[in-house]
Amino acid sequence: MRLMLLTYFRLIAADIRSQLGYPVSFMFETAGTGLVISMFFISLALVFERFNTIAGWTLGEVAFLYGLMEMAFGTMDMVFSGFDPQHFGENVRRGGFDKVLLRPQSLTLQVFGSSFVIRRLGRIIQGIVIFIIALSMVEISWTSVKIVYLPVVFISLICFFGGLFIIGSTITFWTVESIEAINILTYGGSEMMSYPMHIYQDWMRRFFTFIVPAIFLNYYPALYFLDKSDLHDLPSFAPFLSPIAGFGVLFLALRFWKFGVRHYQSTGT
Amino acid sequence: MSEIVSASDLKKHFMLHRHRPGFIGAIRNLITRERRVIRAVDGVSFAIEQGEFVGYLGPNGAGKSTTIKMLTGLLVPTSGGLLVNGRVPWRERQAHVREIGAVFGQRTTLWWDLPVIDSLELLRHIYHIPADRFRLNLQELRGLLELDTFLSTPVRALSLGERMRADLCAALLHDPTLLFLDEPTIGLDVVAKERIRQFICHINIHHGTTILLTTHDISDVEKLCKRVMIIDRGHLLYDGALEKLHERFGGKRQLIVDFSEDYGEVHVDGAHVTERVGTRVTYHFERGTVTASELIGRLSNRFRIRDLEVREPDIEDTIRRIYEEQLLARG
Amino acid sequence: MRTLWEVAKLAIQRQLTYRAAALAGLVTNFFFGLLRAAILVALFGTSQEVAGLTIQGAITYTGLTQAVIAYLSFFGWFEVMDSVYSGEIASALLKPMSYFSFWLAQDLGRALVNFVLRGLSIMCLYALVFDIAVPSHSSQWLAVFAALILSWLVSFSWRFLVNLAAFWTPNARGVGRFAFGLSWVLSGFIMPLRLFPEWFVKLCNLTPFPSMINTVVEIYLGVLDSHAVMKALLIQSLWVILLVAAAHLVLQAGTRRLVIQGG
Repeated sequence: MRLMLLTYFRLIAADIRSQLGYPVSFMFETAGTGLVISMFFISLALVFERFNTIAGWTLGEVAFLYGLMEMAFGTMDMVFSGFDPQHFGENVRRGGFDKVLLRPQSLTLQVFGSSFVIRRLGRIIQGIVIFIIALSMVEISWTSVKIVYLPVVFISLICFFGGLFIIGSTITFWTVESIEAINILTYGGSEMMSYPMHIYQDWMRRFFTFIVPAIFLNYYPALYFLDKSDLHDLPSFAPFLSPIAGFGVLFLALRFWKFGVRHYQSTGT
Repeated sequence: MSEIVSASDLKKHFMLHRHRPGFIGAIRNLITRERRVIRAVDGVSFAIEQGEFVGYLGPNGAGKSTTIKMLTGLLVPTSGGLLVNGRVPWRERQAHVREIGAVFGQRTTLWWDLPVIDSLELLRHIYHIPADRFRLNLQELRGLLELDTFLSTPVRALSLGERMRADLCAALLHDPTLLFLDEPTIGLDVVAKERIRQFICHINIHHGTTILLTTHDISDVEKLCKRVMIIDRGHLLYDGALEKLHERFGGKRQLIVDFSEDYGEVHVDGAHVTERVGTRVTYHFERGTVTASELIGRLSNRFRIRDLEVREPDIEDTIRRIYEEQLLARG
Repeated sequence: MRTLWEVAKLAIQRQLTYRAAALAGLVTNFFFGLLRAAILVALFGTSQEVAGLTIQGAITYTGLTQAVIAYLSFFGWFEVMDSVYSGEIASALLKPMSYFSFWLAQDLGRALVNFVLRGLSIMCLYALVFDIAVPSHSSQWLAVFAALILSWLVSFSWRFLVNLAAFWTPNARGVGRFAFGLSWVLSGFIMPLRLFPEWFVKLCNLTPFPSMINTVVEIYLGVLDSHAVMKALLIQSLWVILLVAAAHLVLQAGTRRLVIQGG
């Protein structure tokens, strides 16, 4: 186990070294990513001057959702970048997955280790800034449970989106066309979850409650942290379902991944 | 000598779904699928002993790369038995892969943006090569492959020949017992090809590494392999010594003679004159009809010969004849 | 002139082969459109109209912005810099054709196909699902048409200009992403510009970005009086002239550099 971790760190160190080999581009991109994220949020903040609330939520409360989402998604995008469906799909089509099969290391480990895009730090840092702004704008009554639960929510979010990435990459063993659909869930999903989800139409909300359990990852925990009431009368333990939703999706994704690899080995490219 | 590879009745069939074009086609595709079975490898059996150097030839689409993929563990056969180093390759992937090496002419196994030496160090960890073993192997391979000039250069900046040498080093660092070479000299100039060939030969002889060479370059085969396997349309057409290939299927041999004088009539029994330029005459003769020494004897009895050369038929011709005429019937 | 039309036709044919991707992109567009619409509706809350924008206008705005991003290649266009890096530009510069016009013609082809396959179709989807705003007078339609063409010209010139960074740095992609990211924010793509405070709108108007998206949207929605419409179209035209001139100047400098440095 320790050996596997060591190998993993060596692999991502190699990838990071590659990225730093282009320092100018790296700085531009990191700054750029950070800029765009913060500009999105600043736009929202500026517009809020006119409206004051969105469906009963203040800017600070939205910033809580937004910041948490950005921190988690940015971290996921960095850690799971080996499984980014876009790049994974391209790699498989070029026959690059064969290289992975020919090395005496766990396949999953190798894919994780193949990429660690550190310019995502731009997004993560912006997320942290937005989250801190949120904390300064909102009065949260902190309890020891809340303090412990916050990192759990954070990690569950990472697992959820990471799982979606893995699913998207596995599908590229069969077809590349599906990437667009996965993008809706990942990029679309993350944007959707940055706002209080009761603003969306019923059918959309129900889809993201019962079919893809996104609502339990950010919105319901936020209701708990911000001591807001639930408008849809789900059971009172709903805010605590985030680890189940997050780890559940990741678990299913990994099973699907194993299945996809077996398929690849029986049909080639 | 032990058997390092044994394949018995290996088959790989692919199911090809025909994509009907257009919108109506897409609907029909949902209801019924038109299936076609592609028998890429259809009952191939062979055994390779430790230390052999085998050439694997075949036209494009013959089933070469499919066989190699099964041997390396990348592909699971449809049916048949396969053991490499006593293992079933795809069942014990990591253990299997630890003992083989592979070099692909078209792609590199190294990290694109990293200096060569960094890639090699990474591989050391991936293959769990003990530090002193690694140092020793690297030392030897550096010298043989002349890597020192570009060890610190990123792979993306290497020329094709340099990249090939780096890939060869990478494939041998962990002392594999079996080495797969897929078009290792493709795109290289004559000098580079020769260096690579010498290196491969050295590895085979001095380290006893079993080598399976897939190539379109006939001179690779001629210079390196004692045994060839020829595959076409999923079947092994020939599996045996290279020389015997000529004997069994070879076309006409050539005897090129430089006479001392310009003789008028140079006809001889058992051969015909195909070309005549000044005092140089080219004869073609069949292998079974007369031996080279007999022919030379007959000629030297009547003429004064300054110099001569015996040429074997172009191996490419021989192999083409095999493909086209399918001289070995199935089975 | 004829060659340019041929180039455009080829580009149209090429873009049409990406039908499947267009369909998938349409679904994505629709999803994001719905998302943004929900956000705006929630922001409006009980107000019927804010800063001259009605709820209907706001919803239509979300559809319009989705329609526009496809034909403006809004999320990034790196083809010129790729051609510089691959060395392909050398053969293009040898042809007796303006490099700028060559790419303009190609982009025209691409933009036309995307306008129909993605732009119009998403508006049709929106029309089916929502009660969207539609221009009432034919003069308004004319203005929309003019604004569309001008916005495309502004967008193309800007994208072309950004790509020219490739002549000066081996990693213009980062520069490109940064520049394109900037355009998202300042063009009225995230939120209708009129919802922002005055000082921010003034800032945006110093850039060509509102002329890419906000102008078209506002003319379509009819929130501008005829005087303001003329002014907006004029500003678009001025930006076109400025950017095209800048592009030509920078291209000249760039190719000179290329010839001297040898790529």
